[in-house]
Amino acid sequence: MAWKCPTCGEVNHSDSMLRCTCGYELDDSVIESTKVTLCPGCLEHNYVDQDSCKKCGLNLKLYRSNPYFDMSSLYEPNSGMTRPSRELPLEFNGSAREYFRIWIVNLCLTLLTAGIFSAWAKVRKKRYFYSHTMLDGTPFQYLGRPLPILKGRVIAATAFSAYYVSSHFFTEVLPYILLAGAVLAPWVIIRSAAFNARYSSFRNMTFRFDGKYLDGLKATCAWVLIPVLLVGIFFKWSGTNAVMAAAFGIFGLLFPWWIRRLKSFIIGHTSYGSKKGEFFATSGQFFKVYLSAGLIFIPVGIITVIMGSTIFSFLKDSQISLLVTAVPGYAGYVLAYAYIKSHGNNLVWNHMRLGRLRFNSTLLARGMAKLYLTNALAIIASLGLMTPWAVMRTLKYRADNLHVLLEGDLSDFHGTETSAVQAAGAELGDFFDLDLSL
Amino acid sequence: MISQPIRLEGQYFDGNQPIAVRAVLAFEGQEAILTVSQISERYFSQRLSVSPRIGGADRFINLPNGAQVQCSHHVILDSLPQESLSEGPVAWLEERWGVALIGVAIIAAILLVGYFYGLPAAAKHVTSRIPIKTEQTLGRQALDWLDNNKWFKPTTLEKDKQERIRNGFDVLRSDLPFKDRYRLEFRDSTFMGPNAMALPGGTIVITDDMVKAAESQEEVLAILAHEIGHVELRHSLRSILQNSAVAVVAATVTSDAASLSIAVAGLPVLLAQTKYSREFETEADDYAFKLLKKRNYSPAAFASIMERLAEKQEGKKRSLSFISTHPVTEDRVKRARAAAQQ
Repeated sequence: MAWKCPTCGEVNHSDSMLRCTCGYELDDSVIESTKVTLCPGCLEHNYVDQDSCKKCGLNLKLYRSNPYFDMSSLYEPNSGMTRPSRELPLEFNGSAREYFRIWIVNLCLTLLTAGIFSAWAKVRKKRYFYSHTMLDGTPFQYLGRPLPILKGRVIAATAFSAYYVSSHFFTEVLPYILLAGAVLAPWVIIRSAAFNARYSSFRNMTFRFDGKYLDGLKATCAWVLIPVLLVGIFFKWSGTNAVMAAAFGIFGLLFPWWIRRLKSFIIGHTSYGSKKGEFFATSGQFFKVYLSAGLIFIPVGIITVIMGSTIFSFLKDSQISLLVTAVPGYAGYVLAYAYIKSHGNNLVWNHMRLGRLRFNSTLLARGMAKLYLTNALAIIASLGLMTPWAVMRTLKYRADNLHVLLEGDLSDFHGTETSAVQAAGAELGDFFDLDLSL
Repeated sequence: MISQPIRLEGQYFDGNQPIAVRAVLAFEGQEAILTVSQISERYFSQRLSVSPRIGGADRFINLPNGAQVQCSHHVILDSLPQESLSEGPVAWLEERWGVALIGVAIIAAILLVGYFYGLPAAAKHVTSRIPIKTEQTLGRQALDWLDNNKWFKPTTLEKDKQERIRNGFDVLRSDLPFKDRYRLEFRDSTFMGPNAMALPGGTIVITDDMVKAAESQEEVLAILAHEIGHVELRHSLRSILQNSAVAVVAATVTSDAASLSIAVAGLPVLLAQTKYSREFETEADDYAFKLLKKRNYSPAAFASIMERLAEKQEGKKRSLSFISTHPVTEDRVKRARAAAQQ
């Protein structure tokens, strides 16, 4: 039984040694409260009764209450069990020089063919990302074909044009088009998720997504709210600004809740090797991420107001002072965005499980913000030519901060008749085999 | 001469479990012999298929039994049947720096020529085939929206002043191609100050402040002539077409950068649209100067009212647009004076 010394924090592995290296002697009254457990996310030692991991913030209480998750498998090795987790190395080894050529050739062909080639370009780029992401020494494989992607793009472009033209010229049709969009939205989500899963393979086994339209509709019902409200406004049920502002306010407040439902829907219906994904994050955790991101704007707002008023009093030219005050505003936006991206990603990865695989994502908001800022500067300064470099370093940063933990053995994943890579081609004839994701 | 038998070593994946096993694939004549954990199988080489080349990454050989072998020997892999016919030539292009350089040149040429000549010309051509009537809904809605959302209040100008301006306006438009489409509206607006605008479909709105800022009928008509220019030259539809085309092209070009930083994607669109908007202003000015001279008014009136408006604004905060959508006033004034002297 391992225990953690309450005075120096040292973890002692043996039952027999009831005396810590610092001299503290374990006594019967504290023997229960000094027991440790490993955090399933980052393998940090935590006291067994702790609610969340003190290193990565993972909600340990949720793991304990989850019937599928065996916390006892995470107790310390010397208690008789061997350490159950090992990390599968994950590496992104794409090179900016190589990707630059791929990017430029595909962009050039896309422009020369008035966009038709963009479906091929998407396949080439995804293929590059997948085949340079190595898990346990094996690259992922992207199996998507250009034609279903082209089909999806034609449909998406038609739908967008219908929306665009009707919103400008034929507003009487617009409510119906928005309504159709709301009805079709869950279908678009499930088709895209199914396409992505079906055409992603690792070690000759494809992923699978089995969400159905009705599940999707249930999971995303909040999303339907906006179009319905917009329709209402266009039909002039209540065309006042206050109603509109209230509608968007409610939607903004519900957004984290909706995101959790969507993630849970996608992860819960995605499987690999007959093992389904599981997702434990709560709406409260999502609210916390978005709330904290929102709070970033308070100091930013104060700085902007102070800077703005001082500069206005010194400079007559309001255009220059506006530009200057836009800087903290943009910085605040980048920080908030980086915060949502990093903490949102960590939240999702650290609270999901796929068979015996767990994940630990360690993205930092300041790391992401630095990345975004330097990327933006490099891209602008190079008139866009540094884009491939920016893409590569972003993917590398994300792979470096994602740890894949295997508890047990990969042989628990079993392929099925339809999961082998060559079976993917069989669905090609299906009309609804199309990619609607962007 | 005996040729060396070709041997490929790689990882074998049976499709049942995600476990890597070492395997050897040897080629003898028409046949491929797979050896994996002491078991051998023979296939016709032509029944294998290889995943497309992408950068220097390992590729996968699909075997007839549904298994895969991961392997990096690209020379041999290229000689086997390929899974995708269309991606081979693309991969060939992607490997060459020379092609990449030509690609940069072609992209730059397409974007620059399209931006400066192609897109404006195409928008003009398309616009000429769409009757101005289609824009009417858009214009009516815009005016309703502005009225309903308190941007505009009813005019406080006296009836006879309105009547005089209307008469002048009728003379201005008398023989123009869209003469029957015009509607002149007077509105009071505290937000907009002295302003005038051409809405889609031929509706022209002039604010009370603008009428009051003018010291003569000729100055009001100069402003209205500029707005007539926007209508006759179909600027609202052209700007919708050009701006949406710019947005679509920018989205294509920056699609990779967009996921990294929104500002990167938005900036080129904003700059491009600003340039088009300035061009439209200049075009409308030139049209107005010609129209004014044709009706025996002097473009100098346009210069004098622009100067007065600029002076009035000097003391106050300038408009909230970062990058002005209107050409620098001094320049416009200069061109108006030059037009008056011709």
